[in-house]
Amino acid sequence: MAETPAFHGGGSAVEPSSSAARLRKIIPGREYWRGLRPSVAREYAEVFGLIGAVTWLGWFLPVSYHVFGHLYLLIVIALSVRVGRWPVFVAAVVSGVAWNYVFIPPRLSFSVLDIDDALLLGTFFVVALIGGQLTARLRAGAGRARQLEQRATALYYLTQALAAAKTVDEGAVSSLGQADDLFNARTALLLAPTEGRLVPHPASSLLLGDEELAVAETVRRSGRPAGRFTDVLPTGPVLHLPLRRGSEVVGVFSVNLGYELEQLSSAQRDLLDGFAAQIALLVERESLRAAGEREKILAESDRLHRTLLDSVSHELKTPLAVLRTAAEKLDTDDARKRASLVGEVRTATSRLDHLVANLLNQTRLESGTLRPQPDWCDARDLVASARRAVGEALARHALRLELPADLPLLRCDAALMEHVLANLLLNAAHHTPPGGAIRVHAGTDAVHGRIFLAVSDDGPGLAPELHATLFQKFSRGPRARAGGLGLGLSIVRGFMLAQGGDVAASRSVEGGACFTVRLPLADPGLVPSDEH
Amino acid sequence: MSDSAAKPDLLVIDDEVQIRRLLRLTLESAGYRVREAETGALGLNEAAVQRPEAIVLDLSLPDMGGLDVLRRLRDWSQIPVLILSVRGGESDKIAALDAGADDYLTKPFSGGELLARMRVLLRRAQPTGEVSIARVGDVEVDFAKRTVTRAGADLHLTVKEYALLRLLLQHRGKVVTHRQLLRDVWGPGHEEDTHYLRVHMANLRKKLEPAAGATRLVKTEAGIGYRLIDAG
Repeated sequence: MAETPAFHGGGSAVEPSSSAARLRKIIPGREYWRGLRPSVAREYAEVFGLIGAVTWLGWFLPVSYHVFGHLYLLIVIALSVRVGRWPVFVAAVVSGVAWNYVFIPPRLSFSVLDIDDALLLGTFFVVALIGGQLTARLRAGAGRARQLEQRATALYYLTQALAAAKTVDEGAVSSLGQADDLFNARTALLLAPTEGRLVPHPASSLLLGDEELAVAETVRRSGRPAGRFTDVLPTGPVLHLPLRRGSEVVGVFSVNLGYELEQLSSAQRDLLDGFAAQIALLVERESLRAAGEREKILAESDRLHRTLLDSVSHELKTPLAVLRTAAEKLDTDDARKRASLVGEVRTATSRLDHLVANLLNQTRLESGTLRPQPDWCDARDLVASARRAVGEALARHALRLELPADLPLLRCDAALMEHVLANLLLNAAHHTPPGGAIRVHAGTDAVHGRIFLAVSDDGPGLAPELHATLFQKFSRGPRARAGGLGLGLSIVRGFMLAQGGDVAASRSVEGGACFTVRLPLADPGLVPSDEH
Repeated sequence: MSDSAAKPDLLVIDDEVQIRRLLRLTLESAGYRVREAETGALGLNEAAVQRPEAIVLDLSLPDMGGLDVLRRLRDWSQIPVLILSVRGGESDKIAALDAGADDYLTKPFSGGELLARMRVLLRRAQPTGEVSIARVGDVEVDFAKRTVTRAGADLHLTVKEYALLRLLLQHRGKVVTHRQLLRDVWGPGHEEDTHYLRVHMANLRKKLEPAAGATRLVKTEAGIGYRLIDAG
């Protein structure tokens, strides 16, 4: 028996793959936001530790106390390049005290200093002050460089996350997430639509009350920051920064800084501004994209309109031309010719009638004014009136009705259903050669609770490539006879959907096309019998 | 067509001059006298002064809706009214029929249809006296004996089926709305129970038109009502 290969879970935990999630994890710049405080306690520990160690060791060394004075000076010098201004000052004080108390005779008591010792002690402080100052300056320089680098890195990661974001929502989620981490605060993004109030983005972790929203509104109107650490309405804990695009304010970025933070350094402010600028860019990009999309839709509808205009004018002009020509020639004396002209006129008018009806129906569908009035209908009635509406177009086809006697009533809008069936019958007549058979059958589908009516023919059937666009407007079959706008099936579908039903196309048993319209099966309730 | 002495007087109320002209052409060639009015107000005035025998009324008029014209007309007159309406305006048609219009025609219509409707309207307007036997197709109804036969053989109709057939025969050639049928046969309060109507009408039809290919005696007007064919 062959062993089935087993798959072992190799303990490879799936890492969050989305770049936003990854970026949020390794977010830099947090130190930057919280200020550079390489633990002051550690520096003091270093100070006391070193001085204590030297003092303890020196206790056992049998050398002159002067040596210790210089040793302490060396320690202060050494510390002045390592620790901050205040620790080195403390180092000078502690060294002086230790030297005097421990080493200057008499040991373990303070003694009055002579001039040499006083000078040396003074040197401790001078060195501590100068060294501390220098170190502080150096450090500030290095710190600033590091801060700048970290700020750049933070913004770089933000930019990357935003660039990776495909939508404004994605961008908002990742940027607000980064902001929350970075500023260690709750943040909110408020978007400014062209009109109306600011809309908080759902990814915001900060919920703004009415008061704060009002402050945000002033930011939007003035284009200047407001709230905490500003001159405008600074009472609340939230700082609101405008998201500017040129002279326009596209939104507001709000950070709840809380009251613990006593002041905002210019570096912190820079970082916040950088964030706001990046988010503004994101919003701008999104609105540009939306504008582009609108443009595309406009172009598309423009194309549709052109198609409509082209085909409508063609479709209208053909029967009109027939009518005009026929009218001019009607005064002929030849009775046979006149009869044929009258026939042409009739065909042209019914074509026009059908065309106008479909155009109106399509318009009703698109304008959303269609209000189906469902009623109980008998399938036989519907088919009969549809047949009557189609009229002569069916004359050259054999129509077979297969409606079961026990078919339940349909719950539908009779007028809409008449259009639906008429369009399907006409469609079948147009796509099958004269003499073809058209079959209308009906039934119920108890499993899905539906009742269906199907119109099938023995024509050439539907080309597979047509299936995708079959029910779209202006879609016409390649073999469609001249005439028609390609609205028929689009209307069928629209009317069926409006009535809570649908339509499907398939291959008929006869090998032609089959269109099935389905409606939910409804129970009219008992009809009182009056059999006597 | 009619007696040369009494050409029936008709009034056409329509704002479209071409439609008026065409209606006049068709109706005059069939022996009617035609007056025209292009607004509802003029039409009402004309109807009051000239007392036509029937009115052709367009539902969309510039000054007042055709429905208003009809309602005001019905305040004082029972002149037969034929409504002209466009396709898709089913609710307008029903409203007009419920407001007392006698029948409707959907534009575009054929001249033949127009004349047939007009004949039915004018016949209805004439006092016909008591008709005890009516025929439609090969179906014969004896109102006095309450019997129905088809091709000589007795047809067994239920009470409701008989009532439906009788109502359609009374308005023969004219559309009878669902509401009207339901109210008259089932009584007030049943106007929305169209499924009663569908079921009984289907049964009635099965009895009147048994073969699939047979002439349909009862025509369905989608979304509006039923019409018994006029040709006897």
